[in-house]
Amino acid sequence: MSFEALRALVQGWAGAGLLPAGLTHGFLVNALLSGLVIGPVLGGLGTLVVTKRLAFFSEAVGHAALTGVAIGILVGEPYTGPYASLFGYCLLFALLVNYTRNRSNLTADTLIGVFLSVSLALGASLLLILASRVNIHILENVLFGSVLTVDDRDLTVLLAVAVGVTALMLPLFNRLLLASFNPALARVRGVPVKGLDYLFIVLVTVVTVASVKIIGAILVGALLVIPAAAARVVASSLRGFFLLSVAFASVAAVAGILLPVQLALPVPSGGAIILAAGLLFLGALLARLFMKGEEG
Amino acid sequence: MTGPAILFDRVDLTLGRTVILDGVSLRVAAGTVHAVVGPNGGGKSSLIRALLGQAPHRGTIRLDWPGDGPGTVAYVPQSVEFDRGLPLTVEDFLAVLCQRRPAFLGPDRRMNYGAALDRVGMAGKARRRFGALSGGERQRVLLAQALIPAPDLIVLDEPMTALDEAGIAIFETLLAELSAAGTTVLWVEHDLAQVRRLATRVTGLNRRVLFDGAPLEMLSPERVFDLFSAVPRRTEAERIAS
Repeated sequence: MSFEALRALVQGWAGAGLLPAGLTHGFLVNALLSGLVIGPVLGGLGTLVVTKRLAFFSEAVGHAALTGVAIGILVGEPYTGPYASLFGYCLLFALLVNYTRNRSNLTADTLIGVFLSVSLALGASLLLILASRVNIHILENVLFGSVLTVDDRDLTVLLAVAVGVTALMLPLFNRLLLASFNPALARVRGVPVKGLDYLFIVLVTVVTVASVKIIGAILVGALLVIPAAAARVVASSLRGFFLLSVAFASVAAVAGILLPVQLALPVPSGGAIILAAGLLFLGALLARLFMKGEEG
Repeated sequence: MTGPAILFDRVDLTLGRTVILDGVSLRVAAGTVHAVVGPNGGGKSSLIRALLGQAPHRGTIRLDWPGDGPGTVAYVPQSVEFDRGLPLTVEDFLAVLCQRRPAFLGPDRRMNYGAALDRVGMAGKARRRFGALSGGERQRVLLAQALIPAPDLIVLDEPMTALDEAGIAIFETLLAELSAAGTTVLWVEHDLAQVRRLATRVTGLNRRVLFDGAPLEMLSPERVFDLFSAVPRRTEAERIAS
């Protein structure tokens, strides 16, 4: 089924009153589809990000997207989706951070802090150059995400990334996790620790970049972290951790896309998605406190 | 299949300017419990890392497997680094290590984690959170993972450090069972009394091999003093050569 046919179907159901009225708008259906596609992937991958203590890294890659967009526009890519520069710059950024991390005596957070600052400085400088060439307000969409700008091309990119990442993440889930527990033990068990380390960095980067359109460069890293953090607070097993993280990320994505439109709130989609995730995190914390209280 | 014999032939390992292993030669006989003792920083763990192919070294390390191809190698590290608050049960931990199916989908019943946990006295604790276990209990789980699948060669890096009395008794039984099954055991240990009781052979290592032989014979007070001296005395061979 093509996106066009799927969109028409959802719009038809919304017109018949089976779905929220806002979904009669094609752009909102696009945004919803992208949220439904990427939410579960971000939630699942987020469990590994949190376990491997890469939350700061995922935030940094998201922020690097800002510079990627600026470079894209500067070299003449369409400002609505400068994917070549986005993927290219963010992958370079991520791989460079990982390469340097393995070869310097700096702690990961210090090193990421250095790379992030330099990348943001570069992005800010390029944006100033761009200010005289394009309407700088367009960049607000890049920074905070927008439901208005998701087109079929974006959906195709999201779907391809989601399928690819899921196809790699699920069979390698145990090995990715084991590599962070004890690299020596992992190697004895046949896990190519270094290779998987780089692969994981690439997975996080491509998912992050693909989600920039809907969540925004500033906030995209948060959807890798907050749902998994909320799930970690209340789960008591790996199954609960993974499934709750997927559920929280999906709910946050859908709620963040639909609620501002339904309630006529002037909030960007990225902001609404992360606020929804933040509320879920708060709820998880309260549930945890309540459970502790019950235990005595 | 019984375990392999292991040959270390003039193994050198240098990190930066520090010599970790200096011409280490020793032979671990197939199916024996071979202990390696020595001071901290004496190169015991580095020897293991070199054996497991995880440390760049010069010289030869050869495993002579009795059958057509290599068998199963298991490794018990001193500890695992992980977030203690992680929602990971003992069963989840074993699933992460031992099965291909994503651990969050549940344990692969064919792996029979219960039997391995039973052997280390952790039956009934499969659903306990791994991070909430005591150090000794975690060490037992690390021993359990090494039993899945049944190993032909097991490499133990100070496995008794956190064990309590009951844990030590279980470890002794396990070692006897592995030995009876013909498994080769290479065991790095600091507890000389346990080595004296349980090992078939012992090697004293302080960058170089200072002694190698039967534990009761080798672990004399003088040799132990030599071994744990900051600067190792010359070996017997060097003394004769000079």
